[in-house]
Amino acid sequence: MLFPLAVLFSAIRLGRGPAVFAALLSVVLFDVFFVPPRFTLGVNDLQYLLTFGVLLVVALITAELAAGLRTQRDVAKEHGEQAGALYAVARELSAALTVEQVSEVAARTVREVFGARARLWLPDDDGRLKSVDDADCDGPPDARVCEVWQSGRAEGSSDGTLYVPLPGPMRVRGVLALRRADSTDVDAPERRRLLDALASLLGIALERMHYVTVAQRTGIEIETERTRNALLAALSHDLRTPLTAIAGLADTIALTPPLLSAEQSELVSAIRVEALRTGTLVHNLLDLARFEAGGLRLRREWLPVDEIVGASLQACTSVLTRHRLELDLPANLQMIEVDAVLMERALGNLVENAAKYTPAGSTIAISARAAGEHMEVSVCDDGPGLPDGPAEDLFGRFVRGRAASGVSGTGLGLAIVDAVVRAHGGRLRAANRAQAGACFTLELPLGSPPLVEEPVA
Amino acid sequence: MSRSPDPVVVVVEDEQQIRRFICSALQAGDCHVIEAETTARGLIETQSRKPDLLILDLGLPDGDGLEVIRRVREWSALPILVLSARAGEGDKVAALDLGADDYLTKPFGVAELMARVRALLRRTALARGVESALVRFGTVEVDLAGRNVTRDGETVHLTPIEYKLLAHLVANAGRVLTHRRLLAEIWGPNHVEHVHYLRVHMASLRRKLEPTPAFPAHIRTETGVGYRLVL
Repeated sequence: MLFPLAVLFSAIRLGRGPAVFAALLSVVLFDVFFVPPRFTLGVNDLQYLLTFGVLLVVALITAELAAGLRTQRDVAKEHGEQAGALYAVARELSAALTVEQVSEVAARTVREVFGARARLWLPDDDGRLKSVDDADCDGPPDARVCEVWQSGRAEGSSDGTLYVPLPGPMRVRGVLALRRADSTDVDAPERRRLLDALASLLGIALERMHYVTVAQRTGIEIETERTRNALLAALSHDLRTPLTAIAGLADTIALTPPLLSAEQSELVSAIRVEALRTGTLVHNLLDLARFEAGGLRLRREWLPVDEIVGASLQACTSVLTRHRLELDLPANLQMIEVDAVLMERALGNLVENAAKYTPAGSTIAISARAAGEHMEVSVCDDGPGLPDGPAEDLFGRFVRGRAASGVSGTGLGLAIVDAVVRAHGGRLRAANRAQAGACFTLELPLGSPPLVEEPVA
Repeated sequence: MSRSPDPVVVVVEDEQQIRRFICSALQAGDCHVIEAETTARGLIETQSRKPDLLILDLGLPDGDGLEVIRRVREWSALPILVLSARAGEGDKVAALDLGADDYLTKPFGVAELMARVRALLRRTALARGVESALVRFGTVEVDLAGRNVTRDGETVHLTPIEYKLLAHLVANAGRVLTHRRLLAEIWGPNHVEHVHYLRVHMASLRRKLEPTPAFPAHIRTETGVGYRLVL
């Protein structure tokens, strides 16, 4: 009865094959040494054949069971090792603060666990994939990296490189490229599961890093905006104060006896006009600066179009003295939801431009109408019209339509109009009229204005 | 008839050059001018001299001009003209809501300044004299006693709200009335956010009274702030 013990032992230590061999050997040895006639394979009593059979079956079953146990033990051990490796990776990744550290952890783990070389492809701020570590491989990613990046499914290539996506909770965060060596085994299911788990850990770490960056950036932006607004307010104050003094003191010269000669009073008046104009320029520049920085918040209110037109005309009364005005504003026009101050300036700039770039006696026509989803407010004139070329070119900063015309200006007017209208979700159009002159149209989205009920008074 | 004494104006402004031209313009306009550089000094002068007008810069080094308005309004209704170098409408509205009568944004010229000063001083003079029940602007005549409004001699039919608005504008002619103030006066304190009510009724008032409603000569819009009736 020692034989099954030997079989069990060899099954546990050596595996299924040796155990089967041990079972057969033990039956033969039993036959040779214990069954008469001894030292031969012959058997006198047929009853022994049954004994051999039972012995063999018992030995084989023992071998099978023991070998199964052994395999399970091995698998458990490997799972344990994998879990340990993943745990170590997770710990290292949670301590990682930069993308480079994540990349280093990935490379080391892949080398130690899979015996392969790893490279990490991550998107930059513009969404283009870039290799993190190797400076010498800074070229564009090969097509397969992009494919994996987009599809989110792992793929192998002919040269033995395996591309694995790194899935974060929200989206794929990068691609891990595994260059296999001869010893690399990533095709077995449990190896593959290990690789996928590693990819997930990397994806989560990268996503965490992404949101940390986003949060930091938002914080910096808020701080920047606060500083910028304070700076602009201070700048506005510091520039307006001396300009006020210049304009006012110039006026004072003109009003203080003795009376000035015609030429002198013209000079003094020029000083005043230029100071006030510089004030407007400061205003425009600061507004534009706010717009560009995205720091200008709209204070939208429901306004009748004629109120905006009236206010903007009022603001440029001084430049309108030598022009004829034609107004076409239907009484039943719908209200629009806009920032009153900005829209007044936008429309005022258009009117002022029309007055500046047309000869005295020209007609400036302002009209408004609802057209489909939009309110169209137009400022048209019968002057020389726009220069050739795309009208949109005029909307840039410091662009001036007729540089040679000798009209003073800074070229900020239309840029501001364009910025204001865009901020309202609208569009500025410019074109020459069929007859003569230019036409600027503000296209503003119509909403559903609130009801105004007449309270019983 | 004896000539009334020159009006007294207190100017609170920290910038010397600006103060200088304001003062010389006021003196040329027959005003007696008292200068102050700080809010503290401004308050003392306003209390002791009992001026006819206070001209106040909002950006003073030793404190907020708004605080001066609040303090002065505790005991006096004298006209206050605010000067502001800030671009936003917010501080103007705050000053007007606290009881300032008008504002000027820097930079401004002497002509603008004196026009505002004269309008505010005229209000004071009117208030002292017999309150006139008949007010005219353009071809419009408002008879506050008879609650009757005519344009070119013909009666204009106004809704009750429109009449209230007009009467309020007339009573405060020359002053800037903020949206909030008008809404509180006419619709009541619960409606101060319903600016579009005001705009709609103001638009229809203009259509009834202004020759060119979209380019009003009298019922002026102070964008982002309120309205003003210019006589």
